[in-house]
Amino acid sequence: MKLIIDETRCKGCNLCTLVCPYRIFQEGTAPNRRGIVVPTLDRPERCTNCRLQKLYGRVLCGVCQMICPDQAIRWVEEGPFEPQKVVIED
Amino acid sequence: MNFQDWLRADRLPHIYCTGCGNGTVINCTLNAVNQMGWTPEETVFVSGIGCSSRAPGYIITDSLHTTHGRAIPFATGVKLARPDLHVVVFTGDGDLAAIGGNHFIHGCRRNIDLTVICMNNYIYGMTGGQGSPCTPLGAYSTTTPYGCDEAPFDLASLAVAAGANYVSRWTSYHVQELTRAVKAGLETPGFSLIEAVVQCPTGYGRRNKLREAQDMIAWMRDHAVLLKKWRRMDEEGVPHDPATFPVGEFVRRNLPAMGVPK
Repeated sequence: MKLIIDETRCKGCNLCTLVCPYRIFQEGTAPNRRGIVVPTLDRPERCTNCRLQKLYGRVLCGVCQMICPDQAIRWVEEGPFEPQKVVIED
Repeated sequence: MNFQDWLRADRLPHIYCTGCGNGTVINCTLNAVNQMGWTPEETVFVSGIGCSSRAPGYIITDSLHTTHGRAIPFATGVKLARPDLHVVVFTGDGDLAAIGGNHFIHGCRRNIDLTVICMNNYIYGMTGGQGSPCTPLGAYSTTTPYGCDEAPFDLASLAVAAGANYVSRWTSYHVQELTRAVKAGLETPGFSLIEAVVQCPTGYGRRNKLREAQDMIAWMRDHAVLLKKWRRMDEEGVPHDPATFPVGEFVRRNLPAMGVPK
């Protein structure tokens, strides 16, 4: 599972940065197209829900999703792993 | 089914200001309703007028957006006409305590099988931050520019005294506890009041040195005292800090209720 912030809903209140126990949400710096500074995700694969939601069959921590007043945070299915082309600099 | 499936995705983003706690309370309520295993066809959301009362417009179930303060009478009608429906009332502090005060007290007295979720943001948010019956002593608002000098209503204690079957108070910081409290309120037959203290950075925080939503959430976290500790302090005679307020489950009892399906 993958943690995403829906930029069409987020209003940039930064409440998720206050509650995340892993400090995955960091205050953003650049405004997006709507003029809202959306928080950035710092290594979101550390989130317990991303790793263990399937195994336990339920939402584990989910405090960010519950406290988000704009219903902008959710977990989506990831596509299967695909090898990426890496450009190696000389 | 996830609780986000209960929202009308085409109506989002909602009109609430940045950092408004009402969205958090909607999340907690929908999560509790979802955990109860109810379907949208058998659930009705009723609301009055105010910021908080716009909530049913974003929920996929049938809903009633009624006149100011009269959410509980309308909900009483729905419940007594169709006792098989589950009725949840969203209301604010100005809606419930000021204009609908008597309806609220008599709703508690009759003990109708409703779940009332009161989003207490301390002011009238939608009309521009006027003082409400729940504005704390000394707080600034549009109509109390020198600090509020009237004592606020304690809604939870009022509901306990009026005879509600389940009363609890949490804040929008305590999301898990609030979800559990709403679920307990939905399970309890009879009148249940869940008072959710929410932040209003635009109307209340801006005038009370809590401009950011995070500051206000941190203020609520620091000033909420668990009811158990509050009562122990009462027994020991320790004075309470006037800015603090108790949170927790005030009462859970089984008085005779109206509108419970046989």
